[in-house]
Amino acid sequence: MKLDVSVLGTFYRMAREGAGLAAGRLTHMTGVETRVGVTKLNFMRGREIRREFADSTQNVGVRVKLTGAIEGYSVVVFDRENALRIVDTLLDEADSDEFDGMARSATTEVGHIMNSGFIDGWADVLEAVIDVSTPEFVEGASAEPFFGDIDETPAEDDLALLFQSQIETVGTEIGFSHYLFPKRESMARLLERLRTSEGIDYDKLDGFDRMAERGAEEVAETATTLTGIDTSVEIRRLNFVSLEAIPEQIAEEMLVGVAFEFDGLPSGYLLFLFDEESAYEIADAMLPTAVDEDGFGEMRTSAITELGNIMASGFLDGWANVLDTTIDHSPPEFIHDIGAAAVDPVIIQLGESQDFAFVFDTVVMADGKEFDCEVYAIPDEDDLERALNDLDVDRIEDAPTTAEFQELDNV
Amino acid sequence: MKTYGSEPGAPQSVQVGISELAVSDGNDTLRSYGLGSCLAIALYDLESEIGGLAHTMLPDGDSADNSDVKPGKYADTAIRALLRRMVERGASYTTVEAKLAGGSDMFEFESFGDGVGERNVAAARAELEKLGVPIVAEDVGGDYGRTVEFTPESGTLLVKTASSEENEVTEL
Repeated sequence: MKLDVSVLGTFYRMAREGAGLAAGRLTHMTGVETRVGVTKLNFMRGREIRREFADSTQNVGVRVKLTGAIEGYSVVVFDRENALRIVDTLLDEADSDEFDGMARSATTEVGHIMNSGFIDGWADVLEAVIDVSTPEFVEGASAEPFFGDIDETPAEDDLALLFQSQIETVGTEIGFSHYLFPKRESMARLLERLRTSEGIDYDKLDGFDRMAERGAEEVAETATTLTGIDTSVEIRRLNFVSLEAIPEQIAEEMLVGVAFEFDGLPSGYLLFLFDEESAYEIADAMLPTAVDEDGFGEMRTSAITELGNIMASGFLDGWANVLDTTIDHSPPEFIHDIGAAAVDPVIIQLGESQDFAFVFDTVVMADGKEFDCEVYAIPDEDDLERALNDLDVDRIEDAPTTAEFQELDNV
Repeated sequence: MKTYGSEPGAPQSVQVGISELAVSDGNDTLRSYGLGSCLAIALYDLESEIGGLAHTMLPDGDSADNSDVKPGKYADTAIRALLRRMVERGASYTTVEAKLAGGSDMFEFESFGDGVGERNVAAARAELEKLGVPIVAEDVGGDYGRTVEFTPESGTLLVKTASSEENEVTEL
């Protein structure tokens, strides 16, 4: 089973188109104004999907079985709260907090309409017929009731390709996730049909995930060593998105960041972004004496820049070890500006030669302290494909990690 | 930019995301947030109070495959698409004016060459000149980000930056 960027591009269009139809139908049904938010293709391991469900509160979902051009399951999952809010809009019932018969059937109806929206969108893009079973209402606080009995659900270590879409509503928050679990054979047929180049083995995608894992671990370790704040990797995800979606998902607030370009196989860009409060706390934790400067003066700027520089080396070393290569990076560029503005120059540069990007998205956090660091690694697409093709999957396990902290003294 | 189910009524603020463009009239504002090297192009016709805003990302759409489906992505095709939609809505081509904001260059990376922001500004100026649309004001370049808010009725383009200690607002 092989895939390439054009396949993923088509999948992305499917997701986008499907989200558009689903949003339109939701508006039609509820009268609430909606807008399609960020759409992503997500590579996730079975255990991460399960963890995501275990972390969350009660969820409700609506699931349908697909046959035809895509075989498998499509599941729309809402936060329980969100589902109740939609039901309230529909039924004009004041603040119910139970899923009685009426609420259940209303949720099922909404979920089904959204599932059908997605599926019709995919069918349009694929120019093929996909049949949908009758919808099934599911409720629970773990992954089990949603996916437990589906054979297509990825095993603990299997990497699944998920479609994630968000529909935003004006005034009311209605977030939801959408999962597609295709049958392997059905996916293989689809990939074969859509692929336009030699492509990469699906199994090599595993290398992606190992890269992401190593890079993220290095960042958290470096951060802990340099700041003395206990940090851990909170989210680690590999997304395939249209370039435009990258700045769109960055918070609309002032951010502090450190940016790099890196060169090797692959080459690309690496960004560390902190919210202002985290950046203050981190800089002050790194500096030996109390800082007497307003905002980001010379001392705080140089502390954050130095942290970014060492985290970048750790991150890219992690990758280089997995890929058995060397990756150099540029001197750090400090930025303190409106969030999206820090990212768009990179998007524009990549946009000259590609429409989509793989984004290695990592969030490092600390318990009880302000330490939110988002890491975006965006490799050049051709380089990444080549790097992965060269990848020897068997040696990934043995790759050592090498975090070096000598530069600590200079801070 | 696609919004589903918008109703006409009270003045609205529509967000114009990266690679998108939108046309509106009266005091419904159009807003683009966090422009770095991207360029905001505002066109308006004061007589009909019709105007549009594009949040462009790249200079040259004529040589790209997908500029027909995503005209807002490129400076040249965005300008033509805005003009066409404004005229369709009742604006008069000959009285349209333009304002530009954005196109800064915040990183000095080797791969960026002369600067990605500068290329966008140059492309927009060239296309507007070719079409005979005067640029009446601009706030471009530098090494900082901008957020813009555009009102077609008055042709006002508010530019907020974060470059100084206090958030500055410039009215173009």
